[in-house]
Amino acid sequence: MKKAKYTRYLTALILLLILAVVLTPLLWSISMSFDRSATTSLPEFSLIPHEPSLFNYKAAAKMIDLLRYFRNTVIIVAINTFLAVAFSMMCGFAFAKLKFVGKKFWFVFMLAVMMVPFESRLVPLFLQYQRWGLLNTWWPLILGQFAYVYGTFFARSYISSIPDSLAESVYIDGGSEWRVFFSIIVPLSKPIMSTLAILQVIANWNAYLWPLVVIRDYDKQMISVGVALFNANQNAMYYGPRMAVAVLSAIPLVILYLFLQKHIVASIAVSGIKQ
Amino acid sequence: MKKNRISKRVVRNNLVGYSFILVSLVTLAVLVYYPMLTTIDYSFRRIGMVGFGDEWIGLENYRMLFSQSIFWKAIGNTILLAIMGLLTIPVGFLLAVLINSLGRGRLQEFFRVGFYLPNIITGVSVYLIFRVVLMSDGGLLNNFLSAITGRKVTIGWLADPKFARWGVTIIWVWMNMGYSMLMNLASLQAIPTDLYEAASIDGANALQKMVSITIPNMKNCFSLLFVTGMINGLARFTDIYILSGSDCYGGAGGTLQTILMYVFQFSFETPNYGVASAGSLVLFVLVFLMTMINVKLTGFLKDEV
Repeated sequence: MKKAKYTRYLTALILLLILAVVLTPLLWSISMSFDRSATTSLPEFSLIPHEPSLFNYKAAAKMIDLLRYFRNTVIIVAINTFLAVAFSMMCGFAFAKLKFVGKKFWFVFMLAVMMVPFESRLVPLFLQYQRWGLLNTWWPLILGQFAYVYGTFFARSYISSIPDSLAESVYIDGGSEWRVFFSIIVPLSKPIMSTLAILQVIANWNAYLWPLVVIRDYDKQMISVGVALFNANQNAMYYGPRMAVAVLSAIPLVILYLFLQKHIVASIAVSGIKQ
Repeated sequence: MKKNRISKRVVRNNLVGYSFILVSLVTLAVLVYYPMLTTIDYSFRRIGMVGFGDEWIGLENYRMLFSQSIFWKAIGNTILLAIMGLLTIPVGFLLAVLINSLGRGRLQEFFRVGFYLPNIITGVSVYLIFRVVLMSDGGLLNNFLSAITGRKVTIGWLADPKFARWGVTIIWVWMNMGYSMLMNLASLQAIPTDLYEAASIDGANALQKMVSITIPNMKNCFSLLFVTGMINGLARFTDIYILSGSDCYGGAGGTLQTILMYVFQFSFETPNYGVASAGSLVLFVLVFLMTMINVKLTGFLKDEV
């Protein structure tokens, strides 16, 4: 028994060492972002800033309009997450509980989309939005959210497990399917809805390729593209300010993660969706 | 009369059903199916600037693609990078085995959350950070290697054609091992414990248990991670594009150009949408093949439809 305990401590120690190695780049970048001596040259490795200061953050604030990128991204994340969750719940409910002609066909029609990677229809989609005159607006970022296929898949299997008897009282009172949806299904589906919402927030916050392609003006751009452009345009010497930008753009999701860690980790383990 | 009422109800039920799904169906038709069909059409045409006409040229775009050594190189790079990225699976498995052996509880929770943290860091931040970590002169990794070997190491992890693929693989593994660990851990914990108890009674040691119980039971998990890893790897773009300084020729002497970067170059730098569409379709076929293998291996969708 004692031996087992020691093995456990040893394992924990090994894991702690590995974790320290894995997280070192992050800690180093935080340290550099607060280090005045990192502003224009690469300092010796240290987890504590050599000359602690907020200078890099001030310098970064002058070089990149992070606040605007933050604002744009938060708006898009909010709209997109709401749309994706709402429409995947509606579809999930229809496929789980309602009867209509062509149900099977349309379900396969939806799921088949999983086999078409977004990247392989990037070019025609871009041209389509160009014909519609919607390039350089937020519409291309938003419109796709009216169908969230993975979400539909998980919402459907979740809603299937809600017993029909709960809905019957509404039907007996002469209520419609929409009332069942809003008064029974939605309140009972909070776990799956928050799982889908978390996945959507992460995915939309990190979106890069599509905003890069469809949005030209800096002041409409999303955070990932804005930061990448900033990085490409800056003199490579400005280590400190670049690390400050990296820290700032990562912070919102990290805070979200620290608050919802257990839920996020569980959602991902259950759904198998990475982002 | 009665029949009429029934059919009225049927019509109503159908209308209600469609009222829930119609918006999503139209979205998919317009933004997925239609563009997919136009990609096929465009791949047989010469299209430069949109609105300036196009011309049916049959297989010319494909002939051009496949006669270019750069395109073959891009396919090769993409597949090689995707395979190197599979290192995430054994790394995630080892972490999961270690974490699982701690037994359920706070300690396990701590490591689960800790090792998943890299996945949460916004991609661009990771690339900003690793550009410095992997620098040839003064980068963290080279400093570390110098310290343990006692010689000055100056490997150009992102610039040297010989090492660049390893450089971007390090980033890929760093970013994805948390996900792999979570999947492996979930799968490990689903193995019935009585299998291990029975093996212990038979006098099996830890290694024998690993080989004859754990690994066979992890087959589904491994194949899922293999296929999703390949699919994500084949469509790889963002990290390499940014790390090459927002340049689609792929840094490090072109050893990093992926299919998608090649397509991107013909779409948004020197517009030749016909060639870009043909390239997109090649990517689609590769991903589609992997997806079919996935469906076959995991039986995903089998009992859903």
